Amino acid sequence: MAHVTFLEAIRQALFEEMERDPAVVCLGEDIGVYGGAFKVTAGLLERFGWERVIDTPISETAIVGAAVGMSYLGLRPVAEMQFMDFIACCFNQITNFAAKSYYRWGAPVPIVIRGPSGGGVHGGPFHSQNPEMYFVHTPGLKVVYPATPYDAKGLLKSAIRDNNPVLFFEHKFLYRRIKEEIPADDYTVPLGQAKVRREGRDLTLVTYAAMVHTCLEAAEQLAQEGIEVELIDLRTLLPLDRETILQSLRKTNKLLVVHEDTKTGGIAGEIAALVCENAFEDLDGPILRVTALDTPVPYSPPLEERFLPNVHDVVRAARELARY
Amino acid sequence: MKISLRREQYLELYYYMRLNRSLEERLVTLFRQNKVVGGLYSSLGQEATSVGTAYALEKRDWMAPMIRNVGALLVKGYRPRDIFLQYMARYDSPTHGKDGTSHFGDLKERHVISPISMLGDLIPVMTGVAIAGRYLGQNIVAMTWIGDGGTSTGAFHEGMNFAATQRAPFVCVVENNQWAYSTPVRRQVPIRNLADRARAYGITSYIVDGNDVVAVYRVAKEAVERCRAGEGPILIEAKTMRMKGHAQHDPAEYVPREMFEYWQARDPIARYETFLSRQGLWTEQEKQQILDRIEREIAEDLAFAENSPFPPPELAEQGVYCEDAYEIKPEWQRPIEEVMPPKASVQAVWQVEDFGGIAEGAVQVIEAAAAPARDGTGRRQVARTPQRGKKKLSARGKGR
Amino acid sequence: MPVDVIMPQMGESIFEGTITKWLKKPGQRVERDEPLFEISTDKVDAEIPSPASGVLKEIKVREGETVPIKTVVALIDTDGATTSAAEATEAEEQKPAETPASAATGAEPGPAAPVPAAPAPQPVAGEDGRRIRSSPLVRRLAREHNIDLTTIRGTGAGGRISKRDILAAIKARATAPAPSVAAGRPEAAPAPLRLETPVPRERIYFGRYEVQPLTAMRQRIAEHMVLSKRTSPHVYSIDEVDMTRVVAVRNQAKAEFEQRFETKLTFMPFFVRACVEGLRAYPTLNASLDGTNLVLHRELNIGIAVALDWGLIVPVVKHAEEKNFLGLQRAINDLAERARTKKLKPEEVQESTFSITNPGVFGGLMGLPIINQPNVAILGVGAIQKRPVVIHDAIAIRSMVYLTLSYDHRVVDGAIAHQFIGKVKSVLENWQENIL
Repeated sequence: MAHVTFLEAIRQALFEEMERDPAVVCLGEDIGVYGGAFKVTAGLLERFGWERVIDTPISETAIVGAAVGMSYLGLRPVAEMQFMDFIACCFNQITNFAAKSYYRWGAPVPIVIRGPSGGGVHGGPFHSQNPEMYFVHTPGLKVVYPATPYDAKGLLKSAIRDNNPVLFFEHKFLYRRIKEEIPADDYTVPLGQAKVRREGRDLTLVTYAAMVHTCLEAAEQLAQEGIEVELIDLRTLLPLDRETILQSLRKTNKLLVVHEDTKTGGIAGEIAALVCENAFEDLDGPILRVTALDTPVPYSPPLEERFLPNVHDVVRAARELARY
Repeated sequence: MKISLRREQYLELYYYMRLNRSLEERLVTLFRQNKVVGGLYSSLGQEATSVGTAYALEKRDWMAPMIRNVGALLVKGYRPRDIFLQYMARYDSPTHGKDGTSHFGDLKERHVISPISMLGDLIPVMTGVAIAGRYLGQNIVAMTWIGDGGTSTGAFHEGMNFAATQRAPFVCVVENNQWAYSTPVRRQVPIRNLADRARAYGITSYIVDGNDVVAVYRVAKEAVERCRAGEGPILIEAKTMRMKGHAQHDPAEYVPREMFEYWQARDPIARYETFLSRQGLWTEQEKQQILDRIEREIAEDLAFAENSPFPPPELAEQGVYCEDAYEIKPEWQRPIEEVMPPKASVQAVWQVEDFGGIAEGAVQVIEAAAAPARDGTGRRQVARTPQRGKKKLSARGKGR
Repeated sequence: MPVDVIMPQMGESIFEGTITKWLKKPGQRVERDEPLFEISTDKVDAEIPSPASGVLKEIKVREGETVPIKTVVALIDTDGATTSAAEATEAEEQKPAETPASAATGAEPGPAAPVPAAPAPQPVAGEDGRRIRSSPLVRRLAREHNIDLTTIRGTGAGGRISKRDILAAIKARATAPAPSVAAGRPEAAPAPLRLETPVPRERIYFGRYEVQPLTAMRQRIAEHMVLSKRTSPHVYSIDEVDMTRVVAVRNQAKAEFEQRFETKLTFMPFFVRACVEGLRAYPTLNASLDGTNLVLHRELNIGIAVALDWGLIVPVVKHAEEKNFLGLQRAINDLAERARTKKLKPEEVQESTFSITNPGVFGGLMGLPIINQPNVAILGVGAIQKRPVVIHDAIAIRSMVYLTLSYDHRVVDGAIAHQFIGKVKSVLENWQENIL
């Protein structure tokens, strides 16, 4: 067991998968000689060579398109977006080419598109976004967004071994802030399974990514007030682990969803609908959402702090719901 | 490069072109009988380009057709029934009714990749195919087609540029059929020769009479072999003409009549028939045999297609994700020891050829070469369709 | 304590059942799950096991009587203790409870006081007339535990009745006698289809005769057949199939199959498999019609007519599309055997999506079957016989069979029907599947 950062866990997953399977290759902007904008891919080129670690032009469409083409010959490319905000540039390749390929003509596309996302680092409107929901709306894709080093490594390995296009979001706020002891040997975490991070009887709090840590802190505070929160970390947004959510709700009868993504069209709305359709008569209160504002991500610190949900927001909503 | 064809190959080229055309003629009938589900796209007039280029590929090579490359699909081993079934949306079609037209492919046998409707996206995808083939030691070439309009997309540029930086064994055939839906090529691109774009990517290009199947084949064969030899990607511009509208619903009234007449006189099949006869490459009897064979094959395949059921509705819900049990295995044709176990031998340092400057205080002017006139008509086009043609064009524009 | 024995519901569309035989007499001991009586319904004849161990105390419905489902047909005394106390409790609870309104009237007497109306209808209102605030969960628990929300004081935000409040109320009441949960009254049964007598009676009763009342099952069959013919305009398509290959496959494999799998190898699974292929290709035949909606079934559940000494029943091979050949044969043999020993469960004669009948086993050259509602088609399989057949202008001896398809012309047209039979024929004539 070694103490590693979130970032190091991802690097280990890439390294170990490339070591295990020569079909795994990496491509992206500045990932080779430079080792990536965040140094996630540092050392890969030296170990695996120019053919397997490809520095590309600034061409997101070409990066994803080439990854799709490589996958048709049986490779398992991992494409890096320097920032996940830039994934908008290759939206078509992902949603129309990769996502529909297997359904339309039976050609699987085993690629991973990974990269840093999320705010809290004063990156401004184009280096802080959470664009996951554009893709959760696209059948054929899988969308993963881990919260801990252990999960990041295990989920990335599963993503690389999966036969479908997987979008792997890495919250950059966690890269060097979160450390965890993880096993040295090979392990995977299955896609599509949420994890109960804390058990509680009073209300269910569903969240993912960096907000898991915000919510754990809020849960500590709420416990001191006698409110026991059951905290679910989704880990995978598509496919969504409906059963874990419904099971917890049937126990606590109240639901709060927290995400760093903006509110309208965020996954909280989908989860609320899921619960209303499947467990309406288990609800003992309204379903509440705590999310970022429906605005672009602003740059200046006081603005961004206002934009992002925080511990206080979560505690206040949970309290209100518990009292209901 | 000396490229010659055997007599039976000459006849095979004819067979594929003629099959392409007869098949599409039959599709028009089916469309009018309401048996085609959705739109119908014609490659009338472009058969030589599709067939001649695809004919230069080997079995191991990969291709991705566009909507007007039925001829290429036939050359790569698909049969008329596949195309009938696709257009008629039947269960036995290659996509089981999940997609139509030429939107199908085959990773295992024919090495054909399905296009999507968004133009340009195949360029980076085929670049990836070419890079992967090289990495696996397969010595393959990847080929795709794009229209004059499709070269305006960002994906085209990103893909060509990436292919060039990677020196990928990739042949991009630009089918300049003069019209992007209703917009003439000159409104898409302000240069006369689309092949000029290759220079900006630092790659080799060819321009060929797209209605001469032998010329097209020779150029494509040379390009494919140069790619295979490691010379990097090559762009071929084939000058041809879309002799119908964008699809069946489009009567193409925006095309000057003289332009159709000009190209009608250069019909690739009629020209090739004359060529075969003049060169004494076939007898009237052999020609008739080919025509009879095509008629028979089309009749048989159409009967099959018409008897194929529509897909069961529940199929709509199936096959969104590829299950874990599906095994994906690359075909290694180089010693695996070359890549496994990985060797720590790379020094992660860029080799920089020069420092990128220009002579101190220097200024260089690069004039637009052969730039078209400001009114948007090229020199030669003015000669053929003078002002008169232009007026007619707007007169037919139905209020535009 | 006495336990009620009730007439079971043998399917969603069943409203009544006839007791055909009591297997125990009052006073006799019966063990739980031991067969207690036999019934006959529209869909199935079945032995009904006892719900509890004890002594059969009283039979309330005699043999031959038809009663609605959920009717108590007998009582079993589980421990021999008297039941008077429990009965008394029940009787008491059936008295209408005093309403709070009438108590209030008593507290404030006055000539002008209006006569209290019946308890307020939904939405439930509190004493001050305000709508009671609760939650979907609270309302569900109240319904399940038969609790009147007006009697609970809410402690949630704004006086809302919360989960905590209702759970407390349920707990508090647990010490009090539990109210009987009223069994939902069976929905009114549709008027039974009368079996008509189409001619004046004197034209039937003449000379010497004997009158035999139809058994319950016979009556159901008769009604079902009349209903089907009246509902569906039947069309029939006939084709003949060369079974030589199938006969050869079966003859070759029969001994080994039966030895290895210990079950009989018949022709039926061949026909079922062929129909599965046919239905996959032409899903319109695997459907039911509901008014103007065609319900296309996803499952391929094949009903197979089984002749019994006392009538006819159509057990169903569920999910035939998921079974291999052996699975089909086992299911067919098992269902047929249990049909003959009255051991079919109600769900095993329901939810067919297509049916096959086999008049051929009795030597019938072909038959024109009546559609098994709510299917839209039924396949009749005639006798397999060797016949001279012209093949390539020569006469050959081949094993032939006639297949007849009856189908509901409201839904299915001849073109589809013939294509379906064509597919069935093609599967049989070119049999590929390895059955061992």
